[in-house]
Amino acid sequence: MRNYDLITPEGTKDLLFGECIVRRNIEKTLFKLFKSRGYCEMITPGLEFFDVFNLNSQYFPQENLYKLTDSKGRLLVMRPDSTMPIARVVATRLRDAMLPLKFCYNQTVYRTEPALKGRSDEIVQAGIELIGSELKMADLEVISTAVEALRSFGMEFSLEIGHIGIFKELVSHLEVSDNVKENIRKHIEAKNFPALNDLLDTLGSSPITNALKKLPALFGGEEVFEKAEELMPDENIKRILDELKEIYHDACEICDTEGAITVDLGLVNKTDYYTGLIIKGYLQGHGEEVVSGGRYDKLISEFGYDVPAVGFALNVNGVAKVIEKNGVFPSMPKADILVYAVPGCEVAALKAAQEYRDQGLIVENALFDDLDSARAYAMEMRIAKVVVIDETGEDEQE
Amino acid sequence: MNKPIRIALTKGRLEKDTVGLFEKLGFDCTAVREKGRKLILPIPDGNLEVVLAKANDVITYVEHGVCDMGVVGKDTIMEMEGKFYELVDLGFGRCKFALATKKGYDFYSGYGIKTIATKYPNVSRRFFEKKGMDTEIIKIEGSVELAPLLELADGIVDIVETGTTLKENGLEVIEDVAPISARLIANTVSLKLRHAEIDRLIKLIEENL
Repeated sequence: MRNYDLITPEGTKDLLFGECIVRRNIEKTLFKLFKSRGYCEMITPGLEFFDVFNLNSQYFPQENLYKLTDSKGRLLVMRPDSTMPIARVVATRLRDAMLPLKFCYNQTVYRTEPALKGRSDEIVQAGIELIGSELKMADLEVISTAVEALRSFGMEFSLEIGHIGIFKELVSHLEVSDNVKENIRKHIEAKNFPALNDLLDTLGSSPITNALKKLPALFGGEEVFEKAEELMPDENIKRILDELKEIYHDACEICDTEGAITVDLGLVNKTDYYTGLIIKGYLQGHGEEVVSGGRYDKLISEFGYDVPAVGFALNVNGVAKVIEKNGVFPSMPKADILVYAVPGCEVAALKAAQEYRDQGLIVENALFDDLDSARAYAMEMRIAKVVVIDETGEDEQE
Repeated sequence: MNKPIRIALTKGRLEKDTVGLFEKLGFDCTAVREKGRKLILPIPDGNLEVVLAKANDVITYVEHGVCDMGVVGKDTIMEMEGKFYELVDLGFGRCKFALATKKGYDFYSGYGIKTIATKYPNVSRRFFEKKGMDTEIIKIEGSVELAPLLELADGIVDIVETGTTLKENGLEVIEDVAPISARLIANTVSLKLRHAEIDRLIKLIEENL
């Protein structure tokens, strides 16, 4: 049998030194931001019952879940997402709590990705969930938090908004099977114009099919709304469009950065439990979105508690990758002092080191049996000062 | 000037057809024509940078966003899938996926599970899944036509252009699986963050197809 005792599983990695600092800095920044807006942290188990993610609407295809069994043989999964566990908690322990509830989290999610593609199976997500408000103010609150989160990394960013309701309304007018609807959705998601046109041509020409054909092209800035208004055949859709336009204008004003807020009416991802507003965030230099979120008014009701909600998750690994690529690599904090104990004076040395630490310095104890080795170590590690402790007391050396 | 748009081209015929298309758009493709062994080549007047890669790698580079766009066959897209935008059917590189057997062989008869040899296991699996047919799929790297001749497989799913190879080896197409042509794909973030430039290029391409 082969031993795998020297490597980590595909899609996982060890983080060292600067990599850890980058990651923790991102997490710290985000948590400070979330908490300053009144979000409380929630920590959910890394292991959940498969059933939590196997609701009627299967948001997570089972082939992408890490599964195992508990001691009773029941099927468990490694948490593939944090929103659904939080929805579970809200629908159970917090059913009688006063609304709105505001939670933030920072935890790892696990999904199987195809091997040898350079993707991680283990992703740290930091995000917020705002539960119990249908108001536009709630959408704006989440959008502005996402903007501030993206802005905090000091890189060029863009936040995109969309609304799943437009697609849902349009296809609801088509008298075709769910299968065909799913194919239409897939082609819109992939902005696959040739296939979308071919498929819709088989359904005849109507204002509905015409609007669906244009949907994936409706992305960009302000001009999208003008184009969309001409196309949309339905009062319901016009209403959604007006709502989205208002949110877009408000978001532009909140963000106050030219071109940073965009709109895409063709955002129709499958694994989404979103029912209304959708948001995506991008950083220049990263090939995938780093923020993903939206309104999910029906998800918590699948756990038996009908309450609206909106939120987003940020891919911490993705952000770390961009920061590292841009070379903003922080160095490890150096120790200020190395304390060397002459044999027999160990206790005195440990006490002396603690006194320095109490002054706020970073202090290491030398783990060498001669002073020269300790000095060589201090040189190598760029520690400015070596303190020698002997029977007579302290002797500082630069 | 902005950083150039990086576009990965599938080496070989699709590369030549794409360069031909770029020249029709009025871009100076001398550097690509006289590439030698270089793999990254500039088209300065289009503010483009061409990357030459194998078909599967075109998708990989575009998915990761290290290339903004790519030109790749629908065959590769169907086999690999992935997350990117599939924007334009370029119309060249036309051929098809087809199911072929030895001439006169009655593929759909009997209850035995059929064995399929192919370079495209995912395409084959999906095709037969849709029919509700269990099949055994064997991946072959080279000339797939050999497998039915050597009686390893009952049929093959492969790319068919003219059908000459099939005919010369006593095989025939019994069913078309899907049409194939070259596609222009784009990274999902690049399309958003460089919308104006990419949009201009696509419009220009569509006018000249």
